[in-house]
Amino acid sequence: MRTELPSAGLRFLAARRRALVRLAGWSALEAGHTFALGYALAHALDGGFLAGRTGAGLAWLGAAVLAVLAGALSTGRTYPALASVVEPLRDALVRRVVTRALHDGDGAAVSRLTHQVEIARDAFAGLLMVTRSFVFTAAGALTGLFVLAPALLAVVAGPLLLGLLLFAATLRALARRQEAFLVADEEIARSLGEVCQGLRDVAAAGAEARVRAEAGALIDAQRRAAGALARWSVARIAALTVAGRLPLVLLLVTAPWLLDRGVTPGSLVGALAYLTQSLLPALQDLVRGVGTSGARLTVVVRRLLSPAPAASPSPGTDPGPGTEGGDLPTARPARAPGRPPRGAELAFRGTTFAYGPHSAPAVHDLTLTVPPGGRLAVVGPSGVGKSTLAGLAAGLLAPRSGEVLLGGLPADSPAARALRLLIPQEAYVFSGTLADNLGYLREGRVPQGELADAVEAVGMLRLVGRLGGLDAPVVPGELSAGERQQIALARAWLSPAPVALLDEATCHLDAAAEARAEDALAAGPHGRRTLVVIAHRAASALRADRVLVLDGPRTVCGEHAGLLRVSPLYRDLAGDAADRSDPARDLRDPYRVDTVARPGLAGDRGHVVAHGPVGEVQTARDLPDGRTLGGQ
Amino acid sequence: MPRRSTTGGAAPAPGRAPVHAAPDGDRVLRGAVRQAAAPAAVLGLATLLSAGAGLLLPAALGRALDLLLARDPGAGRHVALCAALICGAAALDAVADLLGGTTAARSTAYLRHRLLRHVLAAGPRVTARTAPGDLVTRLVGNTADAAAAPATVATAAATAAGPLGAVAALGIISPWLAAAFLAGAPLLFLLLRSFARASGDCAARYQRIQGDIAGRLAEAVTGARTIAAAGTAGRERARVLAPLGGLSRQGHRMWRVQGRAGARAVTLVPLLQITVLAVAGVLLSGGRISVGDLLAASRYAVLATGIGMLTGRIGALVRARAAGRRIAEVLAVPPVRHGGLPLPPGPGTLELRGVGAVRDGRPVLSGIDLVVPGGTSLAVVGRSGSGKSVLAALAGRLADPDTGTVALDGVPLPALSHDALRGAVGHAFERPALLGATVGDALALGVTDPGREAVVAAARAACADGFVRRLPEGYDTPRAAAPLSGGEAQRLGLARAFAHAGRVLVLDDATSGLDSPTEREVGRALAHDVAARTRVVVARRASTAARADRVAWLEDGRLRATGPHAELWHLPEYRAVFGAD
Repeated sequence: MRTELPSAGLRFLAARRRALVRLAGWSALEAGHTFALGYALAHALDGGFLAGRTGAGLAWLGAAVLAVLAGALSTGRTYPALASVVEPLRDALVRRVVTRALHDGDGAAVSRLTHQVEIARDAFAGLLMVTRSFVFTAAGALTGLFVLAPALLAVVAGPLLLGLLLFAATLRALARRQEAFLVADEEIARSLGEVCQGLRDVAAAGAEARVRAEAGALIDAQRRAAGALARWSVARIAALTVAGRLPLVLLLVTAPWLLDRGVTPGSLVGALAYLTQSLLPALQDLVRGVGTSGARLTVVVRRLLSPAPAASPSPGTDPGPGTEGGDLPTARPARAPGRPPRGAELAFRGTTFAYGPHSAPAVHDLTLTVPPGGRLAVVGPSGVGKSTLAGLAAGLLAPRSGEVLLGGLPADSPAARALRLLIPQEAYVFSGTLADNLGYLREGRVPQGELADAVEAVGMLRLVGRLGGLDAPVVPGELSAGERQQIALARAWLSPAPVALLDEATCHLDAAAEARAEDALAAGPHGRRTLVVIAHRAASALRADRVLVLDGPRTVCGEHAGLLRVSPLYRDLAGDAADRSDPARDLRDPYRVDTVARPGLAGDRGHVVAHGPVGEVQTARDLPDGRTLGGQ
Repeated sequence: MPRRSTTGGAAPAPGRAPVHAAPDGDRVLRGAVRQAAAPAAVLGLATLLSAGAGLLLPAALGRALDLLLARDPGAGRHVALCAALICGAAALDAVADLLGGTTAARSTAYLRHRLLRHVLAAGPRVTARTAPGDLVTRLVGNTADAAAAPATVATAAATAAGPLGAVAALGIISPWLAAAFLAGAPLLFLLLRSFARASGDCAARYQRIQGDIAGRLAEAVTGARTIAAAGTAGRERARVLAPLGGLSRQGHRMWRVQGRAGARAVTLVPLLQITVLAVAGVLLSGGRISVGDLLAASRYAVLATGIGMLTGRIGALVRARAAGRRIAEVLAVPPVRHGGLPLPPGPGTLELRGVGAVRDGRPVLSGIDLVVPGGTSLAVVGRSGSGKSVLAALAGRLADPDTGTVALDGVPLPALSHDALRGAVGHAFERPALLGATVGDALALGVTDPGREAVVAAARAACADGFVRRLPEGYDTPRAAAPLSGGEAQRLGLARAFAHAGRVLVLDDATSGLDSPTEREVGRALAHDVAARTRVVVARRASTAARADRVAWLEDGRLRATGPHAELWHLPEYRAVFGAD
């Protein structure tokens, strides 16, 4: 991806040799038209008008007209050939942008797709056309000069070559100025965009002077960049003068000598016509076009291919010890149809994670095990790292040290993927049928019966009715956030993965719907799942076997009742629910766990066990259904 | 924040009827021209001279050729003249290129500075009329378009002189040549025009498919986490890219259409030239003109087709005028005037007397009389649309009331100097816009930079220090590399206000994205660690209102009641205000 742009470009072109050959072929025909114009003029004069044979002269000009028409035909044909080179570039860039946007989850990619890719397409086409046009026009004109009289070519070739060399020598510097100009322009657009969006905030902060100075500096920088570009463009004129205009002077100066050597008047006029009508305009287009298009293309393609400044660390940094056992990938029956997967264990072992080398860790030395079929709720103030924890469990983030194991496999190994599912807060629904959306985490078509079970399990019958059945098309934008979450939950229910991670996946549902969905997911269609709930409401904690209270260094894990005693933050969070308008609804729980903090009550045998830096509150394992509980 | 007019839909039309007299776009352009007068004058002269040299050259070339063919010893002088004309034109072109570039750059910078200065001085009043996206277009794109005016005006004479002079020169050589050109040009033009059927059709299809792909991508990007976790990126990629084949087909079609148009375009000039050459050849055969004349005529025929350039210049001028009008519309928004008074000593008592505000011709606030004694907090509650945010904006002079006055410690806000006002009153918003290269810079934004220590203390008070430290580079993390949740952005917005405000804080729904423990934590910090002790808090949650000393209950822009939350809570209608929560 970060290979040198020129070599990548050459590889791209090499792969499209045939289209390039076709382009060259039609261009060669077009060059014939350049050749014919001067040649016909020379002969129209020598053999016609100057010889008093007007008819012959007009006939030669008629031939030139035919050449012009033939040239136009081939010009028309060069475009489809050009398309065969340019369109694949656009396709490749679109693929790249889409792939990366899906990888980074970067919304800005949409503008790259519609805007920058099109700039690249236009600039590339412009570059090809200008270069092609110059090469073949020059070929036609130089051939014409040679055919009229080799001496003519000898006079013209020197300065032309010199001018082209001069241009080539300044091209890089010119392109760099052009690039600087484009970058400065974008920088202004970005900065002023921010200012316009934040005008209210600038006024409120009274920071007008600072903003004016900062944005003003960019405006001045852009002006300087434009000035530098304008100064360097003088070099273009110099190259143009040497390559295109100097031959004209030389031709005149050497004219007596040329005439002495048998060059006819017609040939001389033809040569002058080649220079002024063909070569000079083609040169002009070249020196103006190559720098501009080339720089635009370079800037845009580099931007499209370069990795975005993302905060996410690269996964796979130091997988830590215990990653052996690479023979497991296919051993898991997770995707095998018909075989109910059992719950898998999720274990954090001394897991530490930070978003950058200089940043405070978001998760610090966490050790915790959720047994197969266990149910863990994670609570804590916003921004404390709950989603980071879910990302680690899902293998989306790699721990800096320690390990995260799913069913004994590193969570970020490909083999672990089939073991877990993650539903984030922002439920993903795509344009397609409802059945497509529900079966997203399954391979192949899901039987109608199972779909109906899923709909029933998460309680979205009404939504299905409203949408018009399972085969009705879904328009994501027309669904409420809660409806989207219901779809994501039903989809998760259908997944064969034995571990479910809900990252505030029910935050837009009401408390009753949330309880129903969580229980349905825990029960699963094929047996009890391991369930980790990043809790939005305190009630989620009440339904869990154990609760992890993320609070930086004061992180603790235990049962509800014990936590109420030992964690002021947990008391705060749980008490929060009691504050609400309808506390009964929020705190109602199916297991009739006492929701009121009564530290020291009989039966509350919680005690804190030191377990790494995470305080572990262990309590009696006496929940109603008598299932095995968390703990080592 | 003043509500933006919703009458115009999402994208206000460029020509939206301004309230004031039609702003004069041409005056903006004249200003730009005046500002670049000297270089533009030189530019005009250089292009005119260059055009002159260009017109003389074919004649000189023709004459030199004739003399050379006749072996006339005087040929040398004409060759030298040609060389001088060629070199002179080249030098003049270089000057023109340089000046053209720098003049446009200078005018662009001038217009951008001017508009930016005005936009900042007028503040949110501008975005109340012009959507931010539209305003950026005016600041970036329209200024560049308008800045083309000085160079376009300066070079207009030369642009016209070249082709017109060439036709005249043809006429001087022989009226027949000029006649051939003038007769042939429109004929050929019309002939070619009749073929050119603009095919906007495939371009439209192309854009539709492009939009389809973009839509699919936008959809998939919102599900990035689901996709990453499910490992379905490959499937998503295929789904997003499914229409790519169609896009490619339309793309190929576009090139074919363009090829047909291009083929016609490249025939026009050569055919005209050959027409002129044919007439010249006949004249040459008859001995009416020389070979040199024929050479000159063929060159003049090409120069004369440059008349097409004029349409381009006229187009640029039309664009510049339209851009000038759009710039003038923004300049017509009156700037905010600040007085010169410093802030007298005081506790930060805020006083609203008979305050009323009108938006889009509709009163949104009227007859508001309120005093917020220094060091106390006032919650502003009411249903949405009751005028809470407008009141918050007036309290800190983000907008001026249409009637009545707002005073801080006895001084009307408009009488205070800019720095005194903004140093005393801080605002935090539901959706703060954060400006600055890094997170730390964003927090330091204010009249003065309070320094890193104060910024960190403010962040701590706003419960933002923790997550900022967890960013890749802490406070020095570039903002682009710090994706923020709504609640995190709110806490940074709070920290920014905490770091600067001296006496009064106006919190406009600024804690709605925080969970309750965090909100309580921020509340505690507000009471102890923040300099500004007088607070006006727009509240949607009952718990937020409960923590305020007093509540101002707004209904339809009027003060329904004021008093402690606990007392108002007895009123069912008051409780209904929070019903939505």
